[in-house]
Amino acid sequence: MTETPPALDVRGLTKLFGGLRAVDDCSFTAPKGKVTGLIGPNGAGKSTAIDLISGFKLPDAGTVLFEGKALEGLPPHRISRLGLIRTFQTPREWPGLTVLENVVLARWDEARETFWRSVLGLKQAQREATVVELAGAREILEEFGLSALRNERAGNLSGGQKRLVEFARIRMAQPQLVILDEPMGGVNPVLGERMALAIQGFITAGTSVIVVEHNLPFIERVTDHVVVMSQGSVIATGPFESLRSNQAVIDAYLGEMPTYEQPSA
Amino acid sequence: MTQYLVTVLTEGAIFGIMALGLNVIWGWSGDFDLAYYGYVALGAYMTLALTIGRHPAPERYILGLQLPYLVAIVLAVASAMLLALVIGLIALRHLRGIYFSIVTLGGVYVLYAMVGQFVPLFNGYQGLAGLINPMGDALGIDFNSYQYFFLGFAIGVLLLVYLFLSRVSSSRFGLALRSLREDERAAAAFGRDIYRLKLKAYLLGAGIGGLAGALFAAYLTAFNTSAWTPLETVVLYAAILVGGRGNIRGVVLGVLIVFVLIEESTRFLPDIPGHPNVVLQLRPIVIGAALILFLRFRPQGLLPERRYVDPIQPKTAQGPAT
Repeated sequence: MTETPPALDVRGLTKLFGGLRAVDDCSFTAPKGKVTGLIGPNGAGKSTAIDLISGFKLPDAGTVLFEGKALEGLPPHRISRLGLIRTFQTPREWPGLTVLENVVLARWDEARETFWRSVLGLKQAQREATVVELAGAREILEEFGLSALRNERAGNLSGGQKRLVEFARIRMAQPQLVILDEPMGGVNPVLGERMALAIQGFITAGTSVIVVEHNLPFIERVTDHVVVMSQGSVIATGPFESLRSNQAVIDAYLGEMPTYEQPSA
Repeated sequence: MTQYLVTVLTEGAIFGIMALGLNVIWGWSGDFDLAYYGYVALGAYMTLALTIGRHPAPERYILGLQLPYLVAIVLAVASAMLLALVIGLIALRHLRGIYFSIVTLGGVYVLYAMVGQFVPLFNGYQGLAGLINPMGDALGIDFNSYQYFFLGFAIGVLLLVYLFLSRVSSSRFGLALRSLREDERAAAAFGRDIYRLKLKAYLLGAGIGGLAGALFAAYLTAFNTSAWTPLETVVLYAAILVGGRGNIRGVVLGVLIVFVLIEESTRFLPDIPGHPNVVLQLRPIVIGAALILFLRFRPQGLLPERRYVDPIQPKTAQGPAT
């Protein structure tokens, strides 16, 4: 193992909702170039932790270091622009925009998006940038098998297709770190295999991954390293294998373990 | 008849500009703004205060300058945008949906009450008057042909606004605005500064509203509180909804239908003896009925927002993914 600084370093993160400590002194790291799983029972504080990391909620205490930069207190768009992008438990496509537009718009580009530049800017330069961008988006759609749907309004897609659009958007945005919040929700096994491969694709493209998921076979399949949360705090970390025998994890979450079966395609 | 047609078309062009401005705010950015007519009204008041000069007491109002009409238009637009900045900074920061609407409605009623009650501002309920045929003298246009000139001017401005907004619509900025309307949290997750983007759209829309107000003032030659109520905005919403929210062609079509066709066709209904107000009251009823029918049967409007259709065929023509 080489000593690279972690993609994400969370220290003592705490969030109170009234008297409830939703996230309570939560600390963990996510290594660069790896897939980190974040698991735990319902109400463990996983989603709140993601909201705190991505700036959608403000923490009461603690620090979040992303590639060495402190994130806490920054608004969501600033964190996103630094290269940390998160998804949501339910797919959040832009329903009235087409699939292609959904993917193109995943890349934020200040040089093109400010009012004056985009409305009154040099037409030629704008057009050239658009051509390049569209070509990139088409390639990604091709890769995810969404080419035929590119002109469809994203709101008309099935739940599984919307998940794929979300993955395609991540590919387009090329962040340094992506946090996937329950990507397997409502996804069939064949599509699940495709998403597992897509996660490997993120790593290859230089995007580290944190994945929150209740589907443990999927966690076992895709992660290098797992963080287990319970009642707002981290109770164990390590490779998934090592957690099978961890009594605290078994008590809090695992119970009897299912085994992973390859889907018969 | 020609006289009548000129009047209708001039009004139609001015309302068209108004609706196009509101479409930026509601059609694209997605905010149901109820303060909008306040920006139109402020544009109209400012145009008058900047052009008609000082009138003798008891009339009281600010400025009282005699600037050229075109300069007054620019300043009227700027003041509408300034007011929008104040209201937008407050209302757009955290409020969305109905909460945003209520705050904007509150804002415009404050403005309405202030204009009426605080006489030194715009002469209270009496309002301002005396903008007669702006640009007419300078261009040597005689009194009789002025209305044709002004019709041409209004249509010209409508066309400029239309072309400008069609450019905004197809720009990256326009696409980013629509992503806010579609899903704000996702837009933030992909790097959009929601507050700033929405504020920009709000100022743009309000500026166009102020522009429409500046034309309206010249068309009416005067403006006072009986020329507008805050709820005038709702009729603009009806026009946008009937025509097609988000589609600027649809918005212009909606104005033609709601303001011109419905408003004017009821004018030709025969009077009912003994009930002189019935026909007048019929207009809001017909507009309301049209609104309900469209919401029920064609909520996307006559010309729905167009989506970008990618012309380039993909390499593989495979079926949709699972």
